[in-house]
Amino acid sequence: MSQIHTQLSGSESRDIALGFMPLTDCAPLVVAHELGFFEGQGLNVTLKKQYSWATMRDKLHAGVLDAAQFLAPMPIASTLGLSGPAVNVIAPMVLSQNGNGITLSMALYEEIKFIHQRLFVDLPISAALLKPVIEARKQSGTKLRFATVYPHSCHYYQLLTWFEQNGVNKGDVDIVIIPPASMVEALQSDDIDGFCVGGPWNAKAVRDGVGVTGATSCDIWPDMPEKVLAMKHSWQVQNPATTKALIRALQQACDWLATVANRFEAARILSRHTYLDLHLSVIAPSLIGSCLVHHQLSPRHMPSYNRFAVDGSDTINKPELFHGEWLLSQMLKYQHIPENSKVEQLMSQVFRQDIYQGAFTDSNIATPSNVARLATATKASLKSTKMVP
Amino acid sequence: MPKQQLNELNVLLIEDDKKKANILMEALGRSQYCIKHVASSGISLLKQVEQLQPDVIIIDVESPSRDILDSLSIISHANPKPVVMFSEQEDTETINQTVKSGVSAYIAGDINPIRVRSILDTAVARFSEYQALKSELVKTKQKLSSQRVVEQAKVWLMETKSLTEKEAYHRIRKMAMDNSQKLEDVAKNILSLAQMLEKSS
Repeated sequence: MSQIHTQLSGSESRDIALGFMPLTDCAPLVVAHELGFFEGQGLNVTLKKQYSWATMRDKLHAGVLDAAQFLAPMPIASTLGLSGPAVNVIAPMVLSQNGNGITLSMALYEEIKFIHQRLFVDLPISAALLKPVIEARKQSGTKLRFATVYPHSCHYYQLLTWFEQNGVNKGDVDIVIIPPASMVEALQSDDIDGFCVGGPWNAKAVRDGVGVTGATSCDIWPDMPEKVLAMKHSWQVQNPATTKALIRALQQACDWLATVANRFEAARILSRHTYLDLHLSVIAPSLIGSCLVHHQLSPRHMPSYNRFAVDGSDTINKPELFHGEWLLSQMLKYQHIPENSKVEQLMSQVFRQDIYQGAFTDSNIATPSNVARLATATKASLKSTKMVP
Repeated sequence: MPKQQLNELNVLLIEDDKKKANILMEALGRSQYCIKHVASSGISLLKQVEQLQPDVIIIDVESPSRDILDSLSIISHANPKPVVMFSEQEDTETINQTVKSGVSAYIAGDINPIRVRSILDTAVARFSEYQALKSELVKTKQKLSSQRVVEQAKVWLMETKSLTEKEAYHRIRKMAMDNSQKLEDVAKNILSLAQMLEKSS
């Protein structure tokens, strides 16, 4: 322990303001705080609950937050200056994979069953089943309306991919942005026909009997980064040892979350007022690998619905360049990035796997788990890169 | 684009807390700002923005609805609006940084009527300035690329027809005048012809 404290002395800050969103996948941040992993690394972390991604971004850019939980495409958007000034934001660690779901309103689900003359619809629900509904709406001059949480988000690209994979034209549906906490109400009041959002909001819609979760991100693009640890590049340069300590503490939390038993415990902690302030029955399902589908049907078994780490050989927390390039390709495809942008070398500037690896090599703490992690991190980096997951 | 300063400006105030909303509305009473207050946060907010077409939007910095506003110009290609955020915390760093982006401003700390008005004035002015700068940048980029195209076409003519630079330029200009086309379009035609010839040779 004394070794770590020596490392952090000097001009580096030990006090960190860390932003998080009250969503199921903020678990690593909350666990690291509640179980004392930050303290164990000599850090004094204050968790700051945020309510909007744009405000989280502004606060990180302005230095009000030192580091934050970001949607995986957001550091790319910040670095390119897609909404506001260009600020080089880096992602030196992946915090989670998967976790999003597409939920349809009860009315739309019933309409699909009726049109296709079925008692049950196979899971995952294919967007192709929407086609006759879309046609019928066209006749009456309306469109199906879907909501998601933020433009530069996996949710948005996953929703568009789900349509595209099943031959639904993007222009035939409306997509709007509304806050996660307003989703269930909007579904219930028929203002929207479906949404793509992270936990616990899919489970909440099913528990309340207002929606049917038809597909998850595991069905659309499995095992891609969902949330990342983000910080300004300039902050990392000023606080290199603190950054490494932060990564080690969060890695410890992710490793702790590898087992289902611990993830249930995490759900209990998350349900507290300070964090999600919602009932355990909506927070726990996705964490224990269960996807609620319909309030009268059995849930789907989905072991990697929320993934923070994998027990055993591989690490999913190292920001892989080919994962970043996949996100970048989605942003280009859906025209969030202008065609003529210079994007070569961009991912190695944003997804900083070197910093992630450095957190375990330079620490001078040769615990068995560190040695194992280093070995797998190196092994993973030797794997050939490919674009499509 | 916002209207003239002297005209009445439509302000959409998004605030759940009625007390806070009243303070702001009082602060802006008898000014050119005409406030419409809404407390909604979900889909109905989108409808209100669409109906009211506000010139300025004021929102609490901690409101979850901030993302709706941020997304308007990104996914629905609506005209961007100046967004002013108020925050109870004095955080000058945030204010300065965000104001730089040109689309937002922060009102921090106590709500003083005179200050609020001047912040709104500044935000509207800065926003128009930013929008003007942005369209200027687009124009400059276009101009530069058209100059580059003409330059390339000149070089090709000089090399293949053994012309001087002056002769090459005159030839492009004459073609443009004869066909009542832009210099840039003539140059583009020449270059695509050049490319075709190169491919076939």
